[in-house]
Amino acid sequence: MKSYCSLGYLGIFLPIAVIGYAFLPKKYRWMFLLLCSYAFFWMLSKKLLIYILISTIAIHYIGIWLGFIQKERDEKLSTVERGEKKAIRLQYQKKQRLVLAAAICFHIGLLVLLKYSPFLAKNVQSLLTMLNVPLKIKIPKFALPIGLSFYTLQAVSYMIDVYRGTIKPDQNLGRLALYMCFFPSLMEGPICRYAQTANQLYSGEAVTYHNLTYGSQRILYGLFKKIVIADRLNLLIKSVFSDFIQYDGTVMLVGAVLYTCQLYMEFSGTMDVVIGSAEIFDIHLPENFQRPFFSKTISEFWQRWHITLGLWFKDYIFYPVSMSKRMKKLTMNARKKLGNHYGPLLAGSIALFCVWICNGLWHGSGWNYIFFGLYHFFLILSGSILEPTIRRITDALHIKRDSKGYHLLQIGKTTIFVIIGELFFRANGLTAGLAMFKKILTEFSLSSFVDGTLLNLGMDLYDYVVVLLAVLLVLAMSILKEKGISIRDMVASKPIYVRWAIYYSIIMLIIIFGAYGEGYAPIDPIYANF
Amino acid sequence: MMEQLIEILEDIQPDADYETCTTLIDDHILDSLSILSLVAELEDAFDVTIPTVEIIPANFNSAQAMMAMINRLLEEE
Repeated sequence: MKSYCSLGYLGIFLPIAVIGYAFLPKKYRWMFLLLCSYAFFWMLSKKLLIYILISTIAIHYIGIWLGFIQKERDEKLSTVERGEKKAIRLQYQKKQRLVLAAAICFHIGLLVLLKYSPFLAKNVQSLLTMLNVPLKIKIPKFALPIGLSFYTLQAVSYMIDVYRGTIKPDQNLGRLALYMCFFPSLMEGPICRYAQTANQLYSGEAVTYHNLTYGSQRILYGLFKKIVIADRLNLLIKSVFSDFIQYDGTVMLVGAVLYTCQLYMEFSGTMDVVIGSAEIFDIHLPENFQRPFFSKTISEFWQRWHITLGLWFKDYIFYPVSMSKRMKKLTMNARKKLGNHYGPLLAGSIALFCVWICNGLWHGSGWNYIFFGLYHFFLILSGSILEPTIRRITDALHIKRDSKGYHLLQIGKTTIFVIIGELFFRANGLTAGLAMFKKILTEFSLSSFVDGTLLNLGMDLYDYVVVLLAVLLVLAMSILKEKGISIRDMVASKPIYVRWAIYYSIIMLIIIFGAYGEGYAPIDPIYANF
Repeated sequence: MMEQLIEILEDIQPDADYETCTTLIDDHILDSLSILSLVAELEDAFDVTIPTVEIIPANFNSAQAMMAMINRLLEEE
């Protein structure tokens, strides 16, 4: 059971979980979900389960501790005069901050130790070698528990939310444990907030026909994206990215475009399976995608792609940095000198830089991931810097910025930037990424489209046609959704025989056109490695 | 206080009718950069601390909502 799209998960694990859950009395259902979640974790990471257990217990007691400090503060506040309240608030805020900082350091420290220490050690070793220092550093190697990067962010968000007073500390260790390790979202997210899911998970709502069919629809759609499109593209992408030296710029470009397509289909398809699985239990997880390829700017793209990660960075890094006392002062001073647009941009860009360094590093420990983060920082910042100039130019040329043509141009430009970013993201290191990008610029030839080169990369004409038709189908569905038309409600409103005809058709499409069996190598869950 | 608030808003983003508009965030009249300036100016003008949890569309969609938030925060202090 390596992925949510495997037979082991969809054919055995999920049905057992659903049946067991449905037949248990309501008050025991959350316990069963917790048991299933730990069993799921154990199957994938064995004894590394200890990490999530430690994390859960730690945030449970940290939450209670913060709650205790808050209670003590409130009791004291109720006994003093108005003028003294500010000082008391500050005194208790300091106490809370100390506890919170220690707890965050512990969690992020563990993440850094397990995930980044080999990368750090390698780079320190390279530096020492460069400086002719005869010192050998032992490169540490740790086994990573599944979903480490995801549940760590959930743990941190829980503690900060308790500190900020937006949620009460949970006295129930079981509910908190389930929030941390609910099996559908454990491996690849979405990154949930305690206030969004904890009570839903705990309430043990019944499995209804409605939830079962809606959840299954969503799972089927996700499987279609993953097995028909993402897995079929895998053969080509593997050979292009691993042996890029032997190919020309055209192949690099095709590889980058198809990888972007594969990444979207794999990740959003898995999210459909994950959200659909939870929906069967009447648990509504936050959405992670909102048709990102209709974005007009890179900034908008990241509000539509991996939404829960972007929101996490916004709430716990961007605002705390940009709204810190020093930054507010900087904003006020800079606004007086640089005006309403460029003034706040200074503080905003410092916060944005922190966000994108963290975003790059979150995805992996490698220079190409740092480059990926900085690339997006540069694009978003330059978009903001150039915005007034672009407005002036379009006004001077009488170009309507709200016209369809202009929007299409913006969407095209954004898509090109995204594809370049994903090329570096997938490349085997930064050097390989730069070499591949250079090939696109210097070795691009249109003849490669017609001389059969593209048919010798692991995909034949049949594969290309299947992928193209499947992508067009997903595109049509996305356009309808973008226009506010719910396909699921449309299907649900049809008579039962039509509904089941549609379900069977999708199943048949997956069975007939899915890329599995001999000659195909299904893609491993990409985001599970982060 | 309301007059002072509207003066700050007009200084940051002059192209809006702050007496009537209730969709300042939803309609992107105030963008994230405007919010950075606005929070700093409001804190300075009204001697109030606006925590990050208060930076939600509901608190910034209209001048009335901003005033209500400031009054509430002043009351809590």
